[in-house]
Amino acid sequence: MQDRRIPAPWLFAAPLILVMAIGFVWPLLQALVNSLHPNTPQGIDVTQWTFGNYKRLADPFYGEILVRTLRISFAVTAITGLLAYPVALYLARLSPRAQSLVILAYISPWLVNTVVKALGWTLLLRTNGVVNTILLQLDIVSTPLKLMLNETGVVIALIPGHFIFVLLPLWAAVSGLDPALSWAAGTLGARPSAVFWRVILPLTLPAFVAGLVINFIMNMTAFAIPMLLGGARNMVASMLAYQVNLITLDWPMGGALAVTLLALTLAIVWAGQKFAMQLAAGRGLRP
Amino acid sequence: MIRAVNLIMLIVVLAPVVVVMWMSLTPTAMFVLPITQFSFRWYREALSYPGFVDAFFLSAELALFAALITLALCFLAVYGIVRYRPAGAAVLRSFFTAPLLVSAVVFGIAMLQFVNRIGLYNQFSGLLLAHVVLVVPFAIRSLEATVRAVPEELEWASMILGRSRANTLLRITLPLCARGLVTAFLFCFLLSFSEVTTTLFMTGPSLQTLPVRIYTYMSDRIDPTVAAVSALVVLVSLAVVVFLNLLGGFRRLDSQG
Amino acid sequence: MSLEIVDLVKVFGAVRAVDGVSLSVASGEFFTLLGPSGCGKTTLLRLVAGIYPVGQGSVRLNGRDITRAPMHRRNLAMVFQSFALFPHLSVFDNVAFGLRSRRVPRDETRERVTEALALVKLDAMAERFPAQLSGGQQQRVALARALVVRPDLLLFDEPLSNLDARLRDEMRFEIRDLQRRIGITTVLVTHDIEEAFVMSDRMAVMQAGKIMQVGRADEIYRSPASRFVANFVGPINELALGGIEMVDGRRRALAAGALRVWLPQSGGMGNGRTNLVLRPEALRVAPGEIGTDNSFPAEIVDVVYLGGNSECRVKVGSLQLSAVMPSVVAARLRPGARVSVGWDADDGVMLDAG
Repeated sequence: MQDRRIPAPWLFAAPLILVMAIGFVWPLLQALVNSLHPNTPQGIDVTQWTFGNYKRLADPFYGEILVRTLRISFAVTAITGLLAYPVALYLARLSPRAQSLVILAYISPWLVNTVVKALGWTLLLRTNGVVNTILLQLDIVSTPLKLMLNETGVVIALIPGHFIFVLLPLWAAVSGLDPALSWAAGTLGARPSAVFWRVILPLTLPAFVAGLVINFIMNMTAFAIPMLLGGARNMVASMLAYQVNLITLDWPMGGALAVTLLALTLAIVWAGQKFAMQLAAGRGLRP
Repeated sequence: MIRAVNLIMLIVVLAPVVVVMWMSLTPTAMFVLPITQFSFRWYREALSYPGFVDAFFLSAELALFAALITLALCFLAVYGIVRYRPAGAAVLRSFFTAPLLVSAVVFGIAMLQFVNRIGLYNQFSGLLLAHVVLVVPFAIRSLEATVRAVPEELEWASMILGRSRANTLLRITLPLCARGLVTAFLFCFLLSFSEVTTTLFMTGPSLQTLPVRIYTYMSDRIDPTVAAVSALVVLVSLAVVVFLNLLGGFRRLDSQG
Repeated sequence: MSLEIVDLVKVFGAVRAVDGVSLSVASGEFFTLLGPSGCGKTTLLRLVAGIYPVGQGSVRLNGRDITRAPMHRRNLAMVFQSFALFPHLSVFDNVAFGLRSRRVPRDETRERVTEALALVKLDAMAERFPAQLSGGQQQRVALARALVVRPDLLLFDEPLSNLDARLRDEMRFEIRDLQRRIGITTVLVTHDIEEAFVMSDRMAVMQAGKIMQVGRADEIYRSPASRFVANFVGPINELALGGIEMVDGRRRALAAGALRVWLPQSGGMGNGRTNLVLRPEALRVAPGEIGTDNSFPAEIVDVVYLGGNSECRVKVGSLQLSAVMPSVVAARLRPGARVSVGWDADDGVMLDAG
């Protein structure tokens, strides 16, 4: 290659790096900087620096919102985890063509925007919605169930939305296993359930955990579904952020919220990835 | 038993979409169940509702430009990484996929405050920038596989025969990546078209994309008109998905999101 | 523990992978399923193991019908081509896996695992993990894991294909040795003829889901039942026969339309065309007279040095024949030389041209 003053790869990557620097790094820094100024009725006071915004986050009001957010996210992730393994196992046993079709069926709704899906869930879960109508018609209940404008509705609607973040890596891991491993376990006397618990689960656990972590932070930061299905009385972190940034227009506080939320989610991802890597290493697997 | 679980999950995943489409065909102004007669009147309503029509064009334009710009930027970057294998490749890759870890909410807040700072609030260009950044991680993943699939030997053959690197990239590599580029484009288009949260946080009433417009409408009332426009969105999305699948675009989604 | 397979059939879609196979393996016998890829040998093995459900037919292990029994109740063991060691378990735990499935008490497990590892000479590796072992060591762990459960039947699915050539040779003898000492009924699947010959008591040659011939190595090599078998287990010379007649109690025919040859006493009088099949080592090539039943003047086309042996290609008229002989003998032969080539009548085999 010719001698260049700027190495070629960096020339190719430069435009993207520039755009990312301006459109990604700078905004985040901006929010961080804003969060360190106090807010005044006239706007952000850029002459003063303070940690006050962060200190305010210690207030129990914010704590309650955080706890609710965590509670909902945890419920969704837990249920998703329980459902993901059966589906992944089922998928892995299908013919390649059937697998593509079923995966397509799972991915397509993910690519439809979340507001449309929120509308769908509203039509399904509200008092005179599809679910209640069916339950009443079949005499399974005598009065409609309250499945909306509470945490239950939010949890129900969030599960399918973020399901593929666990399903896809788990399915890849299960499919990637040497089938001879299951056969070996079987011929050595392990019943099918034992083959799952002693061979398949341990070997796919790292991918599973990694997927659950991503699923968790997606739940933590969801907005449209908690807003439309939970309502103002079930405020989660993202709704609070909306309130502060776009209604109250307290940007320093909003920035502090953003930074805190980011730090929290990154910490969870980091811890989760480390845990997954340790699981993998402890099992003699490449992480 | 696991067949049952799969069936339930599929139903749960598809239900909201199916319900929206089904309900949009109600002949009456209320959602009276069960809906057995079908009417397209709400589609006519939706298509003549200026709010939705304008929002659709905005979304389409935004998605188009965002996808094209992202493609160009990412293709170059990926080419540089894959062919030259620079020392900082892993770092670069992490940097480019970082938006995935910074959730849409946080990024929305950051963009909101940023565009105001530089005077681009409620401007198309600011929104475009945000959408480009959001879509980059997916484009990088997809394009990396595409470029890797082109054997380096072909480029060496071309250069040995006298063509420059740039010429080779244009005449040899690019055409061979055609299918992958189209796939990446469609994928990015769809992602931008469906983007809600970040857009919500950083735009006001005068710059509403279609998902945002549906959102604000829904916060007000739920009626068959919004169901109809949503159904149209579903149809467009599904059409793109089907096309993508025909191009073999989903085989690269093995790694986690 | 004898193995009895009767009329086994397995169909995948439109393919009859196993098409009516019957065979018996005596207790303590080392039996090989030999054939080209796609012949159904691996499918057959997996049917016996219970990995695939049987279509039709039956499998009996020591009289007990295991055709519908689930994999984990057949009390057999299998060694796979990829070794299939559990990467998340240590060597010890890998070997102990089958014992733990059978709820063998801890002390006995420890004893038997240690014994099994000693048997395959891997005592020192108990605490290591599969990723830390070489291919040959992994093989031995797979073997130990299979043997420790004292199975009624031991199955091998091309166990040596993933090893390099030298290791393969070594392992062949070790496995054979071990099997003889323990006396366990064994079925091995391979496409490698040498492997089958070295290791087995008897073998079955398979093609397109069917068994072509069953027998000892020497039987199959010297008296192949069909053209396919003959060609599969080693190189052959083939001469089309015509005008078969009896002369003074012996049979004679015109081979390749040109040579009058004496035929072997027994064999091949099928309805269709018949070929005379000759192994290269059955042909003698020398200048001057050679004392065989059949001998013809020939010209040497080429002599190829192969190490211990050499291949000598000769031309008899327009017919080309390939002979193999020790290199010390071939050393005297030169391309272009005029020689005699011949063979004893009974060294030939008559087979349907197919």
